[in-house]
Amino acid sequence: MSKKPTAQPALHKVIMVGSGGVGKSALTLQFMYDEFVEDYEPTKADSYRKKILLDGEDVQIDILDTAGQEDYAAIRDNYFRSGEGFLCIFSITEDESFQATQEFREQILRVKNDENIPFLLVGNKSDLEDRRKVSFQEASDRAKQWGVPYVETSAKTREHVDKVFYDLMREIRARKMEENKTNNGRGKDKSKKKKLKCTLL
Amino acid sequence: MDFDSPDVMKDFPGLYASELNKQCNNDSDYSDDNEKVMKKDILIGKRKEKKDKDKGYAALEGESSADENFKSRSPSKTKKAKSFKFSTKTKEKRDKSREKEKDVDKKKDRDKKNDKKLDKEKLKSEKTKKLKQSLDESADIGDILPIFGATLEVAVERSRCHDGVDIPLPIRECIDYIESIGVSFEGIYKEKCNKMNKQSLAAALNHTFHCSSRLLHALLHHCPALFPSIRIERYIPPLESGAKLPDNPEEIDHELKKQESLLTQIHKEMNVGCISKQREELLWEVQRIITQLKRKLKCANKDKEAVVEKNESLHEEKEEAKKLTTETGDQSQDTPDHSDIQEIKQNLSIVPESQHEDLSRVEKSVDINEECSKNDDGASEYSVLDNNLALLQLKNEGLHLLRDSLLKDIQTERNQIMLLKSHISTDTPPTMMVPSENLDEVMDLFLKENQILQIKKINLVRQIIEEQEMCIELKAQIQSHRL
Repeated sequence: MSKKPTAQPALHKVIMVGSGGVGKSALTLQFMYDEFVEDYEPTKADSYRKKILLDGEDVQIDILDTAGQEDYAAIRDNYFRSGEGFLCIFSITEDESFQATQEFREQILRVKNDENIPFLLVGNKSDLEDRRKVSFQEASDRAKQWGVPYVETSAKTREHVDKVFYDLMREIRARKMEENKTNNGRGKDKSKKKKLKCTLL
Repeated sequence: MDFDSPDVMKDFPGLYASELNKQCNNDSDYSDDNEKVMKKDILIGKRKEKKDKDKGYAALEGESSADENFKSRSPSKTKKAKSFKFSTKTKEKRDKSREKEKDVDKKKDRDKKNDKKLDKEKLKSEKTKKLKQSLDESADIGDILPIFGATLEVAVERSRCHDGVDIPLPIRECIDYIESIGVSFEGIYKEKCNKMNKQSLAAALNHTFHCSSRLLHALLHHCPALFPSIRIERYIPPLESGAKLPDNPEEIDHELKKQESLLTQIHKEMNVGCISKQREELLWEVQRIITQLKRKLKCANKDKEAVVEKNESLHEEKEEAKKLTTETGDQSQDTPDHSDIQEIKQNLSIVPESQHEDLSRVEKSVDINEECSKNDDGASEYSVLDNNLALLQLKNEGLHLLRDSLLKDIQTERNQIMLLKSHISTDTPPTMMVPSENLDEVMDLFLKENQILQIKKINLVRQIIEEQEMCIELKAQIQSHRL
């Protein structure tokens, strides 16, 4: 495997999780290529890389779009392990997908073994307000309980699509800086501060 | 041979190429001949059917256990393209080592040199060891999934060639290596193997293969005749990220299969606990390439479909144009009922115009036609087309040509219409001036004849088009069969 030159920009690994058909791929493709795909085609696994400017800093984002279907659960852990941040997506028009987020959260925590892993709860399909089944309050309550931010997006209208990715990357970046500090022997106080900041977001 | 000490081996987890190379450098136990024999053995193994291979394989392992320990470290990291540098890098190194060996052959200072080399290499390896360990925290895959000492099936499974040839990768690399250097070494390809060579080879290997040396000799001697269809195909490993991905749908498909095979293997290895930063990186990388390839393939397919749709719509267009000509023909045939010649003349002059209009209308209604073609005969044809991309491509080309020729036809017909129009405008006055009682009868006769001819013509045109389509279909099938 090629060793990356040190000059390479920071690389943040983001993983999309959620039930089938909630719009993980749609969000990813909207973010990657500014396109909205109408026809549904279940994903097995797809991976993308994009160079972006995050607060004036060149970074690379690796996005892994996973399968919502249980069929591919066997390979999922391999991906979860290498993820640095997670976007947990459900559809606001489908309560079942919202309930499933609980399980995804547990799976991630089990694999990562880390309560403070950068994580965003995302309610997609916000353009379909008339078909809403999951209230904003309900979703943000769960997010608060987990200590993570809640954002509603629409892959169709591109609403908040960039926001969820950028917010998550900021969390990952903060997390990495914090880890570097703790590795250098100091920064326990810092980490506490950072944690607080995250939940406030 | 302290080089085989486990300590040193740990320094090169999975660095198959360098290990093998070093083995050649330092393995003074093996004479040059012996080495060749080993390679030949492998080569033969490949040429023979699986059974023989299997045996040769097992025997290899029995012959030199130290050796095989060492190779067992090589495994899957070599699976990526990098490992393949082995064929070029090691080639040089090997050549060098050979030269050296020849130079100092059987001189005592050789051992000293080797010792020095060893020391140096130990130093180097200690450095790389540290580097490696920081990168690769997990257990070495060779320990968990050894390929040497396993059955052939298992070894193939663990060290796969991703192009579908079921030979363990190290063996494949050896074969490719021999293929690449064989011409420049006497006794491999450069000079034909004489009977003596074959006999000694057979004698050396009969234990390995558990068969008589005579039989082995016969096999060696008649190798090309016995296995005429066996071809040695150089292994091209899956592309790495950054490499240019293919554009041709078939190539994309081929590469996609390789990458997917690689991905499956990575998953398998990870599932048995071979987890490292490197492997995770590789997993994402391969996944990314697959995503890109799939995207490319989808785009290519969409383009193809669009072209086919266009073609079919053009066919429809043409056919409709034909229908319209018949209709307009009918119109002109209807006119003779009126006895007034002037009216006929008027109608005749109108016909080309209306025809012209119709043609342009047909062109405008391409969208509608597209839908028609989708719904009608297109639907059944589609599923077939989708199933066979190659066939589709070929057929597409044929249809393209047909479309072009049909477009040309339309153009010439249009020109004809214009010409006729101008003729009518100039010719009508004299015809009007001729007062004849027989005129009606003559007109009738001509028009009837005209009608019959028109129908015949249309039928023939239809037949021609149908035949042409059949031809294209058949041609495409023939070509795809050839492929």
